[in-house]
Amino acid sequence: MLIGVKKEKDIAEGISRRQAMGESYWAIVRRQFRKNRLAVWSLRLLYLLLFTALSADFIANERPLYCQIEGETHFPVFKQYAVALGLSTWEAQFFQKGWREHDYEKVIWAPIPYSATTIDRKNNNYRAPGDEQDVTSVRFRHWLGTDQLGRDITAGMISGTRIAMLVGVVSMSIAAIIGIFFGALAGYFGDDRFQASRIGLALNILGILASIFYAFSARSFAFSEGTFSVELLKSLGITAAIMGLLNLLARALKRIPFLGKSITLPLDIMVMRLIEIISSVPALLLVLSILAVIEQPSILYVMAIIGLIRWTGIARFIRAELLRIRSLEYIEAAQALGYSEWRIISRHAIPNALTPVLITIAFGVASAILLEAFLSFLSVGVPPEQVTWGSLLRLARSQVSAWWLAIFPGFAIFLTVTIFNLLGEGLTDALDPRLRG
Amino acid sequence: MLQYLLKRILIFIPTLLVISLLAFGLSRAAPGDPVEMKLRGFGSDQQNLVNAERIYRETAAFLGLNKPAFYIGLSPAAYPDTLYNILKRDHRENLSKLIAQYGNWEQISAYYQQLLKMNYLLQKTAGQQESNNFRSIRSSIQQLFLAYSDTRITSLLEEAETLALQDSSLQAALQEPILTLHSSYEAIKAKARPERLYIPDIKWYGLDNQYHNWLAGFLKLDFGLSYYDSRPVADKMNDALFWTILINGMAILLAYLLSIPLGVFSAIWKGSVFDRSSTILLFILYSLPSFWIGTMLLVFFTTPEYGMDWFPSIGLGNLPTEAPFWNRFWETASHLGLPVFCLSYGALAFISRQMRGGMLNVIRQDYIRTAWAKGLSSRSVIWKHAFRNALFPIITLFANIFPAVFAGSVAIEVIFNIPGMGKLTIDAITQRDWPVVYTVLMLSAILTMAGILVADFLYAWADPRVSYSRNKQ
Repeated sequence: MLIGVKKEKDIAEGISRRQAMGESYWAIVRRQFRKNRLAVWSLRLLYLLLFTALSADFIANERPLYCQIEGETHFPVFKQYAVALGLSTWEAQFFQKGWREHDYEKVIWAPIPYSATTIDRKNNNYRAPGDEQDVTSVRFRHWLGTDQLGRDITAGMISGTRIAMLVGVVSMSIAAIIGIFFGALAGYFGDDRFQASRIGLALNILGILASIFYAFSARSFAFSEGTFSVELLKSLGITAAIMGLLNLLARALKRIPFLGKSITLPLDIMVMRLIEIISSVPALLLVLSILAVIEQPSILYVMAIIGLIRWTGIARFIRAELLRIRSLEYIEAAQALGYSEWRIISRHAIPNALTPVLITIAFGVASAILLEAFLSFLSVGVPPEQVTWGSLLRLARSQVSAWWLAIFPGFAIFLTVTIFNLLGEGLTDALDPRLRG
Repeated sequence: MLQYLLKRILIFIPTLLVISLLAFGLSRAAPGDPVEMKLRGFGSDQQNLVNAERIYRETAAFLGLNKPAFYIGLSPAAYPDTLYNILKRDHRENLSKLIAQYGNWEQISAYYQQLLKMNYLLQKTAGQQESNNFRSIRSSIQQLFLAYSDTRITSLLEEAETLALQDSSLQAALQEPILTLHSSYEAIKAKARPERLYIPDIKWYGLDNQYHNWLAGFLKLDFGLSYYDSRPVADKMNDALFWTILINGMAILLAYLLSIPLGVFSAIWKGSVFDRSSTILLFILYSLPSFWIGTMLLVFFTTPEYGMDWFPSIGLGNLPTEAPFWNRFWETASHLGLPVFCLSYGALAFISRQMRGGMLNVIRQDYIRTAWAKGLSSRSVIWKHAFRNALFPIITLFANIFPAVFAGSVAIEVIFNIPGMGKLTIDAITQRDWPVVYTVLMLSAILTMAGILVADFLYAWADPRVSYSRNKQ
């Protein structure tokens, strides 16, 4: 009984001590970060941008937030999510007439009562923000003007915010996953620590070839017929099954002495070569030539491709950190305790190398957003109906008198890129141990 | 040093091979038929099928597309190793879709031969037959070349049959071939061997393949012909390189000339008003996307719209070559002002930030304090002792200059319509002009590598302590 109490007390103390340590590290970082006023302001602006991106449908929408027609209450903006998910369908009356043409008994419009793609025929042909506009009330004014078709630029800017944030977050998440994986492999195992049995190596190579054949080569017809993402998931499932089976087989065959003899794989060299290959071609050229292969442009492909190319910086960072960490005592202690390599890497090594990666990610988000904006500026890889900051800026080239098309989207790109650059600088200062007082 | 150089080059060879494979793979995966693209300008000769086939075959041979793609191929055993002989890409793809469903090339090939025969027959009888039914049959047969689903093929065949039955003269001429065609299609379904789709088969095509020919040509500096206008890629690049090197060279020169003193002085007067204002200004400049600034300058300063029409509009001016040299010179120079500005301000901001950082690191060092203590003049301390040692970060930046020839000025060239490498590359990618794209990808990789090597050399030159040879360590 007494022992149990003491043990509990120990655990509680341990947790609180660990918390105190964890807090103190982050407290230091936060204190350092707060000293940098520009970075703090950037963070606040970033929150604003993220809020705009998340609630874009509620800020700018041609559908009313709430309305009452013939005694029936509707919440069209909310319903649009249900319709998009296939859970519901629009009532017939909403197909017959535009959203603005109904006789509403009560109606609450979104703050900007236009979607990015809404075409206002009365105000088309580049209506400037200050021009007289053919609108029923000041409520429906196009505050930042319209483009040739009569699309509201404010709504376009808000939809662009969502795209930009999405590009930043998704592409850098992909980049971070790949970068951390490869960086950790290269850094932790280096050129000397990764051992594989002969049979394991042989079967894995065989497995990769078999997966290419059975999951992709033999299924090319299925790919051309079905939905790409579904087929890709199936193919990845087949790959996982093949690799899993062969690895089980390898584990069984490892007992035979000849097959079980271990070989050292120079993982560091292999990963560094891969990084060299990717970074020896300018990212823009690589992205553009990969996008040329895709028949149906989609912003998702753009994000995925940026993520698949921009992981090298993160991988280098993690590799350098892990090369240092792997010879520290606590890793040796973990090895002495008999933990598996994967557990040491994922639970002990990577968490300690992760914070500096935030810096690379902050700068990476800035460059990803810039790259996407440039691609839509060139109208490569982004579907033509998608309104983004870059596509709005492109319109300015065809109509030079529309100054608002040149200024606002470009400024949004500039501001976002600057915010992430400043955040990166702030993080660098905050996380740099040399400056920590 | 030589040993180091050789080692680096040896390491670079596999990298380059992988990039060449990547570029080649992309070109194979890209949609579109280059031969069709090339022939589009001439209009398809529907009237004379034999002629059209011959032209197609010759064009394919001219572009080297009548060869197998690669040394080896991994595909299901159901696919024949001579599929590349079917030159038309859409036919080939349609046949592979049929193979993917039934797995029996013998029957599918027989069906395809019947289809081709039928097409010739229709072509031959076209002179005598003018009826609507005949035209419908012909279009059904044309569509069969691109049909692979069972329901579609069956409905097209049945449609052709019923149409042929309605007209006695058509019946006499066409009914039998259509029935033969139909039975050959039924044979595909009857003798399906789908199990062969799951047997892997590695095929060896030998050295005479598209990839090998292209790579061998590349190594002999023969970059092939553009799919778009059949000009040699090297010629196209020659013209484009001149403009790109001109504007990038001017921009980089300008950026270095301004940024080095700016960086040095803001480091020396750290914390002064000059330092703080220049730091903020440079940070803003660094974050300004050049394609935005380019668009803004284009909108505001090259059009009379806002009363600031100070610069000529896009392009390079169009004075004829007979015009006096100086006129042409000024014309071009005035067109290049804005692009060069757009290219240089970003580099300027970046380089001076690096210079300032490098200088700040150096002037903290003891030997600089010693130099001051010896009573050396400030000019001597700054430029002779500090500056030389602060140059290292700038030297590493030098590596970035080389690949900039390809991708550095894409935005600016597109905006200001300058026919340089960037614009050439973008155009080639959007037109799927793969010979140009391959070459650009490969050359930019080589130049990146060269840039890194040059930076290493400069590093060793600027700092005698740096040595790349192993025995000195």
